Amino acid sequence: MSIIIKDLVHVYNPDSPFETVALSNINFKIEKGEFVGLIGHTGSGKSTLIQHLNGLLKATSGKIYINDLDISQKDVKLSEVRKKVGLVFQYPEYQLFEETVFKDVAFGPFNLGLEQKEIESRVKEALEIVGLNFEEIKDRSPFELSGGQRRRIAIAGVIAMKPEVLILDEPTAGLDPEGRDEILAQIKELHSKYKMTVILVSHSMEDIARLVNKIIVMDKGKVALIGTPREVFKKADILEKIGLGVPQITYLVRKLREKGIAIREDVLTVDEAKEEIIKLIRGKKHA
Amino acid sequence: MTKMIETIDLVYEYQKDEDERIMALKKVGLKVKKGEFVAILGHNGSGKSTLAKLMNAIYLPSGGKVYIKNMDTTNEEKIWEIRRTAGMVFQNPDNQIVATTVEEDVAFGPENLGVAPKEIRERVEGAMKAVGIDEFRKKSPHLLSGGQKQRVAIAGVLAMKPECIILDEPTAMLDPSGRKEVMDTIVKLNKEGITVIHITHFMDEAVKADRIVVMDNGNIALDGKPKDVFSNVDRLKQLGLDVPQVTLLAHELKNEGIAISENILTVDEMVNELCRLL
Repeated sequence: MSIIIKDLVHVYNPDSPFETVALSNINFKIEKGEFVGLIGHTGSGKSTLIQHLNGLLKATSGKIYINDLDISQKDVKLSEVRKKVGLVFQYPEYQLFEETVFKDVAFGPFNLGLEQKEIESRVKEALEIVGLNFEEIKDRSPFELSGGQRRRIAIAGVIAMKPEVLILDEPTAGLDPEGRDEILAQIKELHSKYKMTVILVSHSMEDIARLVNKIIVMDKGKVALIGTPREVFKKADILEKIGLGVPQITYLVRKLREKGIAIREDVLTVDEAKEEIIKLIRGKKHA
Repeated sequence: MTKMIETIDLVYEYQKDEDERIMALKKVGLKVKKGEFVAILGHNGSGKSTLAKLMNAIYLPSGGKVYIKNMDTTNEEKIWEIRRTAGMVFQNPDNQIVATTVEEDVAFGPENLGVAPKEIRERVEGAMKAVGIDEFRKKSPHLLSGGQKQRVAIAGVLAMKPECIILDEPTAMLDPSGRKEVMDTIVKLNKEGITVIHITHFMDEAVKADRIVVMDNGNIALDGKPKDVFSNVDRLKQLGLDVPQVTLLAHELKNEGIAISENILTVDEMVNELCRLL
């Protein structure tokens, strides 16, 4: 399922004193099966953009194609779009409302009008994908569980809709490192094993560098940069100018190069840096 | 040494449901000196927030003692003085703002202490300046960014003239620029002499402290200078915590047999070390 955005513009409160251009002339394409990182500081337009992708916001002008279907058209059935594009908001655990975990995760599939048996199998699968034991947790109240568990239940509710595209707005905000790593591992699996197209909004450049194959950088309602992590993180100066950073390893590599050490410029992760440095040190010994 | 906070064999237990009691803290002994900047790390459920709430008499010990400047937190007569001495800032900026303008919010604390109006004005002015929010004084707090709101919350504590500030994950809900604003403020206040207890999951913030205390399962697992604590990479990972990327890199290089120092916390330290090796 590919996503094409063409000349997308969104204006909040048009023709009023509060008129704000939130998105201007956005153009990009996401292919089926990509894992995209969406970054940008608060107010750059990330959230406005993702809300267009499942029809929560209507474009002021421009086109959005989800698999050749122009969802910016008036007569488009948005329920169809939302079946295909699942959106996990920030702090999604605040949206849980049912008496049991089962009912909460089943809410979406139930509203699709699915049979009871199908609903049950989807709930079971979704809970297992997020690392929760179906039998143990299904009858418990979401409100007696820990924050990390509640967040995973909220994500399961979206997974149970079996979307082809999954968009997550800062899914690890406020979690401890272990909780963060668990959720990111599950998202990675949704991408690799279940072949979902994933769009991840994150402030952690280290996580983005480790996970995604394409980065879209937003600034002041525009796409500032787009490309592979190696291409984007090479432009540390531009990223810093718009209030973002690069992974700590990238800073390290940059400073080493300034000191005249011939380390590859596009090293992004601790593992890559380790290999490169070992190569350099061993190479020096043999020289 | 002047003690700011002391806990002796501190135990905190609570009833989770009918047949389950949780021991959140098990005989914790911790001394914090006046003027120290202590970061408390630990995964969720390790007891770090419980410890913070005991330092401010929000919780009272099930066993053992907590002293704030030698005042016992179970002494009800001292409770206001304890809270005035050790102010607390919480995680969610939206849950701790009470007034309709920034300056009124900052004034809320001293007003409730019965401070004279003229002095309230001076304190509010000073507190807003200290955290750099004086330009928003007439604004409604809900119009501010997360980082700005947290600074309003910190100013509200400062207006009480505390000697110590306890911050329970004040940056968890902020974006990188908001986090930086709040961290810069905390570091500045500490330099001006305020004792800081900073609970966080962000290792780059912990690196800025004088001392790191790592909690695990209701006990203190590690306690020392950032360099010493972060050199235990395997132990920290086992405790479910991160280390800075350069520290991890040094650790992995050492495992490969390269003679590199393990006391590396910053990019610059790593650059110097590698320049020596290369």
